[in-house]
Amino acid sequence: MNAKTRAFVRDRFLEFYKKESYRIGAPSLIERREFGILLFKGEVMIRHKGFSDVEELRSFLARNVPLHAYYSTAYYESPEEKMESKGWLGADLYFDIDADHVPTDCGKVHDRWTCKGCGFSGKGVAPETCPACEGRSFDEKTWPCEVCLGSAKQETFKLVEMLTGDFGFALDDVMVSFSGHRGYHVHVENEEIRKLDSMARKEMVDYITGTGLEAGFHGLKGAFNRRGMLTGPRLVDLGWRGRIARGTYEFLRDAKRAELLRLGLKKRAVDALIDDRALILKSWDSGGPWNLVKGVGPESWKSIVQHGLKSQSAMVDTVVTTDVHRLIRLTNTLHGKSGLMKVAFPTSEMEEFDPFKEAIAFKEGEATIVVEEAPQFRLGEEAFGPFKNRRVELPMAAAMLLLCKGLAEVAE
Amino acid sequence: MEVRLVLTKNDLAKYPFSPQAAEYIKLLDLKIENLANPELKPILDRAESRMEEALLNNPPEVSYRARDEDVEIPSFPVAVMMAAGTNNDYVRRRYALAEARRAYNLLRLEDERKILDITSSVKWRIKKPKRTVGSRGYNFALYFVDFLENAKYFREKEWKLINKAMEDGWVHLTKQEVARLLQEEVRKHVEGKLQVRVRSMLPENVTERVDRLVKVYASRIGKVRFEELPKDAVNAAFPPCIRQLYDAAAAGRHLSHIGRFALVSFLLRVGIPPEKVIDLFRSSADFNERMTRYQVEHIAGARGSRTRYNPPRCDTLRTHGVCPGTDDLCKNLRSPLTYYRRKLRMIKTAVAAGQT
Repeated sequence: MNAKTRAFVRDRFLEFYKKESYRIGAPSLIERREFGILLFKGEVMIRHKGFSDVEELRSFLARNVPLHAYYSTAYYESPEEKMESKGWLGADLYFDIDADHVPTDCGKVHDRWTCKGCGFSGKGVAPETCPACEGRSFDEKTWPCEVCLGSAKQETFKLVEMLTGDFGFALDDVMVSFSGHRGYHVHVENEEIRKLDSMARKEMVDYITGTGLEAGFHGLKGAFNRRGMLTGPRLVDLGWRGRIARGTYEFLRDAKRAELLRLGLKKRAVDALIDDRALILKSWDSGGPWNLVKGVGPESWKSIVQHGLKSQSAMVDTVVTTDVHRLIRLTNTLHGKSGLMKVAFPTSEMEEFDPFKEAIAFKEGEATIVVEEAPQFRLGEEAFGPFKNRRVELPMAAAMLLLCKGLAEVAE
Repeated sequence: MEVRLVLTKNDLAKYPFSPQAAEYIKLLDLKIENLANPELKPILDRAESRMEEALLNNPPEVSYRARDEDVEIPSFPVAVMMAAGTNNDYVRRRYALAEARRAYNLLRLEDERKILDITSSVKWRIKKPKRTVGSRGYNFALYFVDFLENAKYFREKEWKLINKAMEDGWVHLTKQEVARLLQEEVRKHVEGKLQVRVRSMLPENVTERVDRLVKVYASRIGKVRFEELPKDAVNAAFPPCIRQLYDAAAAGRHLSHIGRFALVSFLLRVGIPPEKVIDLFRSSADFNERMTRYQVEHIAGARGSRTRYNPPRCDTLRTHGVCPGTDDLCKNLRSPLTYYRRKLRMIKTAVAAGQT
């Protein structure tokens, strides 16, 4: 981003924080939260700020024009003190689902990487080592793609289902938001969980990501019974019992031969599993036993289960949830990497929520920019690109997206 | 949910940590300065024996003396004061554990109704489950927050939340499991009470008893000190996770934040000087001396909160995907440091036997 582009983007952000700051609401117990912003200038972070009301916060943002604006999930006695003297009072429960950590159908072909050592570049996810110079450090440019965000949304659905079903949180306590870039956040505000420490939250994360699960504790017997039957959880069971059954069912239904062999199953057992697939699935539909295939015993089932549970768990960022001092993006502020807003919505609107419509901040004007390279994308009802080395005039939101992503500069 | 709290005097003697017992004791108007009074000698004797049992029994456990409630109930707060007055952390921890184990062994013999009464009295949200899960009989459902506050300290797989049946936030548990969780609750509760500074307030006859106890069991107390780590670190004794992180850092590969933290805190703890730890990261493409130095010194406790950090425990590393899978020695251990200490001892024994 050159100086002219930077100044242009900052001016747009300034207008936003002058005109639209009424949208920014006060987080609950605002006077107990720590705030932090990242400035345009030198990308400097200002932390340990505290505000007693939302007007103070809004005018601070308008005065400083942040590239990113954050606040703490934690509540403190004195939010402006140094970390060790803040006096931690508790923290909301927070989840981050980032497309970077979720496998997607698009194969991330829209992402680009450049080796820091030799400048060699390529598409998709960066390799372990640079094919040209064997360097291991890369500049990565990711793209907020619809497919990626769709996959992240699927994970969010699974997470919300666990929070409201297994954990019993009221729908009103759970707020979902689009981060403004590559993922979704889930925020649980509930007095009961405020005091939970990092260790307890880790257990919740393990529950959600399926870490440490042993099917033996969920009804999958370790041995055949006297009648030669092997019983296991059923598709309709609650919580992880049902998830184990459904995950295994789906895995078996779709598994390729090679996948089953890779699990270390004997060739004969794999043949039997594939030949009798329809029979097994039919039996399970009616709650039948697990041992319909000869040669597949309790141990083999356990390794099949471990594969099946991947589709049932939700891939949340483990670090975010277990950090009880985390700073998170403030709702209805701009994301410096996209010029889109972080927007929150109730779980009931998850299905219809369209990030490329609801998160648009700049709705007026056009800008002429020179695009180096950009994939095709959509904002609102309009599609743009793909572009390569082109000078184009675009609606402001589209132009800002490419400028913030560092894929374009303002035209001379 | 209706909470029915009908605890008999007999219950108060069994569960003297309950708020109802505390109420009862308050009515007795027992004052510290009166402990020299000969009338209170039976209570003081029993308090001393509670501590003695904690130090003598293995595993530590205080007994329950039935049909002697008037002594059994007030002897608990007196024993707590005596244990606090030792100013000895080992004695305090052991006493708390002994009272907790007493509660466990009494509670698991109670009927369901009583268990609900006792556990509700310590503010647990607990009830009978709405329905059965699988073929196993669960008699209780505990709100997951109360479950986690206690079970998070347990390392066994069966105590992981994910291995429990949970519905609407209620964790299904057996009687045995509820008793075990209550033990943990009591341990924390008693340990919390033992942190008060009371020694200067105790009458002379009580401090004499306290000092005598500590002296008698001093030999036992001395034995359990943790062994210090040796000054020179031995790479060969690194656990698989640290080995992998170390190699990655040395090759200049990128480490996750938690991976970097685990490696640095581990290396510092096994005695590698901060300077050498910083050097390890020099081959990284984005090496920034000032930043690395700041982070390493922070973890070493030379900056900020002045806390010297320990490396995360195994289950934490597993959660964050840092654990590369366990080797034979990893099993049954819970921290990379324990692995290191144990492996080092094995290496030394092997060297001594001349079979390197």
